[in-house]
Order: sequence, then C-alpha cells, then structure tokens
Amino acid sequence: MRLAAAELVDSREILPDQWLQSYYAPSLVAGARAGQFVHVRTGDYSGLVLRRPFSFNTVDSATGVFTIHFRTIGRGTEWLKRVRQGEPVDMLGPLGRPFEVDSRSRHLLLVAGGLGMAGVRMLADEAIRAGRQVVLLFGAATAGEVYPSFLLPDEVEYVVATDDGSLGHHGYVTDLAPQYEAWADQAFACGPSPMLRALAGLAAGRGQRLGVAKLGRKRGAGRSAPLGSPEARRKAFLQVSMEQNMGCAVGACLGCVVMSVAGTPQRVCREGPVFAAEEIAWESGW
Amino acid sequence: MRPRKRVVTSPAGGTILPARKRKPGRPRSRRPSRLPPLPQGRSLVLEGSGATSPRRAEPSATELAAVDLSVDLAPGRGGFRLANPILVASGTFGYGVEYGEVVDVQRLGAVCCKGTTLKPRVGNVTPRVTETPAGMLNSIGLQNPGVDAVVERYAPTWTAWQTSVIVNVAGESIADYVEVCRRLDGVPGVAAIELNISCPNVGKGGLQFAIDAEAAGAVTAAVRRTTDLPLLVKLSPNVADVRPIARAIAAAGADALTAVNTLSGIAVASDRRRPLLGNVFGGLSGPAIKPVALRVVYEVAQVVDIPVVAIGGVTELADVLDFLAVGAVAVQVGTAIFADPTLPVRLIDELAGECLARGLSSYQPLVGTALPPRPDAPSAKGVEYRP
Repeated sequence: MRLAAAELVDSREILPDQWLQSYYAPSLVAGARAGQFVHVRTGDYSGLVLRRPFSFNTVDSATGVFTIHFRTIGRGTEWLKRVRQGEPVDMLGPLGRPFEVDSRSRHLLLVAGGLGMAGVRMLADEAIRAGRQVVLLFGAATAGEVYPSFLLPDEVEYVVATDDGSLGHHGYVTDLAPQYEAWADQAFACGPSPMLRALAGLAAGRGQRLGVAKLGRKRGAGRSAPLGSPEARRKAFLQVSMEQNMGCAVGACLGCVVMSVAGTPQRVCREGPVFAAEEIAWESGW
Repeated sequence: MRPRKRVVTSPAGGTILPARKRKPGRPRSRRPSRLPPLPQGRSLVLEGSGATSPRRAEPSATELAAVDLSVDLAPGRGGFRLANPILVASGTFGYGVEYGEVVDVQRLGAVCCKGTTLKPRVGNVTPRVTETPAGMLNSIGLQNPGVDAVVERYAPTWTAWQTSVIVNVAGESIADYVEVCRRLDGVPGVAAIELNISCPNVGKGGLQFAIDAEAAGAVTAAVRRTTDLPLLVKLSPNVADVRPIARAIAAAGADALTAVNTLSGIAVASDRRRPLLGNVFGGLSGPAIKPVALRVVYEVAQVVDIPVVAIGGVTELADVLDFLAVGAVAVQVGTAIFADPTLPVRLIDELAGECLARGLSSYQPLVGTALPPRPDAPSAKGVEYRP
C-alpha cells in the first residue's frame, strides 16, 4: 500500500460514457496483481470527501503504466474523465487481495458483467502470460455496450451475451457458463451481484454434476486450509470480485463489508475484493 | 489575550503574554483581540490577515519541534498528556494499524480506536456508507470483535507505541459500559477511554444516553467509579440544547468532552424506492457538519471547566485554528483521513509552523480567542478586579 501521484498518460472513451485511462505510477504498479485496486482521490472541488476505488484493468510493470476502466456515473468520475494528460492524480494502492489461480489450472473461465470487465481484465493477461487458456464470457445490456474485442489479448476466446440479443447470445451471461463448467479448471467473475449469486449457485452444484473430485491431493481430515486464506481460495472453483460502497479502502472504517457464511462481516477492501464463492453468504441479504 | 483557567497551559510557559504580565493601570478592551500579538522585536510575519504568510521561509524540523504542542486532557486528575493536540477520530482509523503503511502513527497526538462493545457486534446491513455534499453518511452499527478480542489483538501493539490509544467504548446499558471499562482498566496500551454515548447507528442503546442530561451523568458517574483511566465523553449534536448534558457529564467526573459525534441523516437510493443505507439512518460527518460542530464546541466550552476536544469536518489547518478559537484544546480528524491519510501528521507540523509564525512557543494562546468574555466568571487568582 503506497500513496503516489499517478500521471495521466492517455484517456479514451472506449464506449458511451465509459473511459479507459492509463496512468504512469511505477510505485503502484510494482507488485500489483489481478483483482487488486487503487483508491483515487478526486480533485479538491465541490466537497467530494471520499476516494473512488477502481480495479487495475491492465498493468504493464515494464513501463510502470496501468489502466483503469470506469463509467461516468457521478461527480467523481465526471471529474476523473476531465483529467488532462500529464496531470497528477493522488492514488492509494495496490489495495485488496488478488485472484488466486491454482498452479495446476490450465483452463480459466472469466465471467464479466458490464463494468465487471475491469475486475477480470487483468487476470486474462496474467493467465495468458502463464500459458493458460482463457475463455471470457461477457454480458452487457446491448451491443453498444460490449467491450471492444481489440482491447483484449488475441489468445482470449471472447463470448458475448446481450440482454436484448443485439449481439451474441440473447440472454444473460450466466446462461453461457454451464457450457464451460466442464472445460474450466477455475472460474473468476466480476459484475452485478445477481450475476455473481447465480454463478455461485452454478458453481456449488458443479462438482456433483460433473462427478469431479476436489482439486488437490487428499490430505488428512481437518487439515483443509481455513476459509478465506489464500490456499483455500486457490482451491476454490469460483472466485468473485465483490463491490460495495467504500470509505477508507484500508480496512479501518468497516463500511464495505459482505456477510460471510461464518456470520462475520468481511471487508471488501481488505479480505476482498476477491472472495471464494463459498465464503459469501449469498442469501443473507447483505 | 486573557488566559482562561480551564484551558490547559503547558508547563513550559505556554502563554507568551499572560494576563499577569499586563501592567495594572493599562487600559484593556473587554474583548480579547482575535489573534495573540507578536512579542516585541518579532515583526517578520503577520503582514496580512491571520492566515500564514506565503513569503515565510519554511521552518526547519528542529524549529517546529521547539514549539510546545503538548496538551493535558485530564488536568483535574493525574493528567493525561498528549504530545500534540491532533487526534484521529474513532471509526476512521480502525485500531491504528490499518493505515500503518502510509501514516506514521507514532507522530499522532492520540488514536481513538473503533467503538468497542462488550460482546462482538456484526454491525448493520450494507450499504453502510455513502458520500453526501461535502460529507458522508455512515451506518456501520458498531461492528467490532468485542472488548476482549480488541484487548487481545491490539493492546500488545499499542503498548509499544509512544502514541496514546484512547479506546472508544459503546454499550446499550450502564452495566455494559461499566463492564467494558472494567476490562480495559489496567490493560497496558490502553491510555484512556472515550465514552461513546452518542452513536446514532444502533437502535437500542448509545444515543439515549446522549440526549438526556440525567442519563449522560449517570453513565459517566458509573464509569468514573469503575476506572481511573482518563475519561472522555463524546457528545451528540442531535439534541436541542447540549449545555445541560455537558454540565451533567462534567459534574459526573469526566476528564474531557469530545464534541461532536455525527449528525443523524438519511440518503435516498437512486431509484427513489427506498432509503440508500441498509440501516436507513446514518451519521453525517465531514466538512458539512463543521459549522454545527463549531457551534457545539462554542457552547460547551463556555459552560464546562474541563477540556473540550473538537471533532467535525477538520480538513485543513484553518479548521484546527477555528476549533481552537472557540475553546477546544485539541481536535480529532475523522472523515478527511479517508481522502487524505497523511493529513493528521501534516496538521501537526502546520500547527507548529503557525505558532512559529506568530512567535508563540505554544499553541495555547490560540485557544478560546473567539469566545465571548465571561463577566460572571470569578477570577481564580483574584488578579482581575470587577466592580
């Protein structure tokens, strides 16, 4: 966790009201992993008192440049899109815990809904660099909001679903997931919470449907890694990147929690934003 | 500048021009001047208004360190001395360890930890925070692991710090408060207790104590009997008149008052079909509440003789100076930490720099300068003659 003045390198409106910005900040990029995020301070205007969290969308550690992807939905993002080239922006990062990919996983299924693309985009890069195969399922409301394929690595198999059927599958992205559940060794998702809940439901029944044993060697009973530990997450089939209104982003204010199955609220900024699907109490109403 | 008796003065000769040095026959205005005058021979600064002069050379670290920023928050009993009057507010700094990588905790005057209750609490349903104009609403609902877990997990860390840790204590009944404080009493690393009798985010307890003078006095007195730790009590602004409550708490033996907790408020979800926060009600904090906090500190400082710690929308040095001017001896920084984690440490240096610029060896002369004179207050020393 470091504070840095990130310098805007490039800013593009890749989709209507959706922006892709590159920032130069070697100290933030160092050690950043897919699933982590930066907490961005908007300019001192009109009394915005909170920072805004953004997932690392892509990271280039060689050049010290990373990108964020956001939709303009309020005054903070309106300000951010107007930042000019070369202007420094106060950022805190890298924050949160990353996706944990099992070293034996060869086939990764990434599922993104809308802006959730920003949450899993970097994992595609990491996986391909590690020689893994990646299928990316993407859901959007309409063809006009589909993430452009030229911004993805060529190696990614990109499958699109739109709610209105204007491009790709007509329906939800979660409809596509069952076709890949046998192929995939692990799945990683980011998007609206109904989507994540549906995927968690699918993942929970997957082992039984496929008759597969859990990944990993059999160990003595009771020796399994504790829920929420990196080891346990690495073994989970589905990991989700959660979203919640955030305050401090370092775990101090307890504003951004999700309820765990153990009944203890977990901080999205500290224990998350990536959780194994079985850690989350999906029906708790939180 | 008339020193006020209840204002804590430092042993190192805090005030530059104390009243007793004033010549007896010299006419003086009833109203103290807003700013302490510069001592003779120091004319380099204060060319314009009270703001710091931009032309001033940056003071060195040793110069800044020479300014006495120490403050005693329990002058009545034993003493509770902090290295400087910049504290971080409960709920915004966790247990002091979360920001450790970007903030030098050791420099802070004190850390007020997250509200601690007897039993673990899971807190309120989400969403718990949202931004509002110049502020934010929170309804965490006192999520915490319970006093025993807090002591076990964090007290060993706190013991090693030179910064004092003030444990914020919340409860639903007097018995709760007493039991939590009993378990904190004598724990190494716990320097003081801040009674949170004003949390707006828990249904049953908390706030009821802060809106009733009798109940506030009762819980303070009960805790006072339980522990010898310095005792701060945090006031709620959600009352018609805070003064009788402040008096009752002071009379019950509190060492200092903290003013104020958050203001109760709500936000509406963007679809306008429900309130935004899971708990419906939240506590408003940030620059939006600064005028309210100033008013409460101004009122409270005039009716109690114990130190007042101000909190509410501090985002820059000017806010600190404002709160000092209305009678606070220390300030807590809260919401502003979220946007600017290094602010509290920076404020310490800026306050020292401000004192240097005004030729003060301590910040105490800045305290209470905007308060009205108290014609009815008897002089303790008998040096002032009022016919």
